[in-house]
Parts: sequence; structure tokens; C-alpha cells
Amino acid sequence: MAGSVTGEVRAEPNLTPLLDVVFQLITFFMLVVNFTADNYDQRVHLPVAGSARPVEDTQRVSEDRIVLNVDREGHLLVGGQVQPLNEALQTIKHQADLVKLNLKAAGQKVDPASGLPTTIVFRADKDSTFSSVMTLINACQTQGFRKFALKAMTST
Amino acid sequence: MRRQKRKQKVEGPNVPIAPMLDMAFQLLTFFVLTYHPAPQEGQFVMTLLPPQPATAMAAAPAANQAAPSNELPVALRTLPTILKAGDGGSLARIVVEQNEVPNDPKALEEALGKYLQDPDLPFDQTLIKVDPKLRYAELMTVINAFSNAFVKARKDPKLSFVELRPDEGE
Repeated sequence: MAGSVTGEVRAEPNLTPLLDVVFQLITFFMLVVNFTADNYDQRVHLPVAGSARPVEDTQRVSEDRIVLNVDREGHLLVGGQVQPLNEALQTIKHQADLVKLNLKAAGQKVDPASGLPTTIVFRADKDSTFSSVMTLINACQTQGFRKFALKAMTST
Repeated sequence: MRRQKRKQKVEGPNVPIAPMLDMAFQLLTFFVLTYHPAPQEGQFVMTLLPPQPATAMAAAPAANQAAPSNELPVALRTLPTILKAGDGGSLARIVVEQNEVPNDPKALEEALGKYLQDPDLPFDQTLIKVDPKLRYAELMTVINAFSNAFVKARKDPKLSFVELRPDEGE
């Protein structure tokens, strides 16, 4: 009953081209994946405005920006947590203090007329009310911010 | 005297590719599953000054604001607009310089074009007074129409907005 070794023909497919293709696909996905995603919060559904200008990556990197996500109830979302108004105002004040501290460290002076150089980017939900957004805008203005950017989807 | 060369069969190292391929496929699966294309977002950039009287605004323009195109004060160059909210925060009324404008984005854009493209009218910016109850999406629709109208009039869009007081816009 001992098996005898027969002359089997083993198919050995060449896997190298397959590996090449897989590595190219991995490279593609690694390049297009965006881990930072601009403080993107999925709970916020932006309104649609066709003439909103797309943000260029160079602008995103070079410009000093603070992104504020506002949910449909008008609450500020910080680090995924919903903040009540009093905490939201504290957060904005804290951010303004940090910006002022950075400017001071860099030896730059803040011009009261032009305000802080940082742009506040509002990602507000389409169902939030104007008053809730305006409350946060007013809080930013009180802290010295003057530049604002309102986010919207460029298409549905 | 000729020496015949014999072909020698060179046996190279046999590198197993299968484990590497397995790992590569796992990496590929990870990236395919986690790939989520971010939606195309745009933005409206604006300089919003704290609320202050029109005369003070004229005296202290924003730092990045270009020199006024003419000698008229800011109050006269500003196109006043009022947005009133209806049920559920929908847009009920649009009043541009005391004239009611149809509540439709295209009609609004056309109406704004008449104000902004007319060379006899001095308007080069707008102040939108917004009902606090208005939904943010409705405001963005109006801002979108204003932005288009400014671009068609070949003017730099200058928009700002404040909260509408209860006694205004009646």
C-alpha cells in the first residue's frame, strides 16, 4: 500500500504581476485617503449652494483656520461632543486666547480694526436656525475674530 | 582549441511571494473598506464686523477692504435686504430696498441683478437682516443668489448679515 512518487506536474503561476497590481492599488488608496478630513463631522448636513467656492488644499494648509461644527439644534460640536452654549462660548474664548498667545510669541501685533488673522470656518447644519449660528458668530466677533467662512455643499 | 561553454543552470533563491501577496491583499482590503470620499465642500468667505452704526462703519472699514470705489458713504452703497421667516423657519418674504422680491432663487437673482448691474445705482455691498427663526439652509440660498448676482455684475461679493429686530420688516 505504499504510495509511489509519480511524476506530478505542478502548476506554479507567476504571482509577481499580480503583486505589482495590488501594490499599485494600495499606493493609490494611500494617496487618496484623507485622514485629516478638515474636522469633518458626519452629523452635520451642510446646505447646498452652487456658487460656494471649493477650498484648495494649499489654502487649507497655509491659512490659519478654526473649524466650528454646529448641529441642527444649534449646538457646537467639539471633538465629537455636543457642547451647551456656555461651554461653547468658553471654547471660542479659549481658541481666541491661543491665537493671541501664538501671535504674541511670534512677535506680531493684533490690529483691533482687522481683528485676529484666523478664519473661523462654520460648518453649520442646514436645519439649524439663524439665531443659533449668529450667537456663535457674535461670540467669535467679541473675541476679535473678523474673518469667517460659511461652508456649503457645492452639489447635492 | 575551442572550448565549448556549457550552459550552467543557475538556481537563484526561491522567495515565497504568497505571504507577501496575502499581506498586500489585507492592506488593500483595509484601504478599500475605509475609503470614504469626502463630499465636495465649498465656502463663502466674508469679513463680518461687529454690529455698529453705519457712520462708524464708514469711518472704520475692514483692513482687507479695498479703498471705496467712490466717495459715497458705506450706508448709501449698501443694498439693504430683509429676510422674514415663515412656518418651520422657511423663507416667507424677501424685501430688497423696501421692495418685495419673489421668493424664488432665480427670480431673486434677476431682481438683485437689476440693483447691482445698474450703473446709476451705487450699490456694491449688501447687508442682510435675517429673521432669527430662519433656517440656515434658506439663508444660504439667498447668499448663493447674492453671490451669483455680484459675479454677474462683475463686482466683488461683499455680504454681511445681522439679526432682524422684531419691530423691523413689518
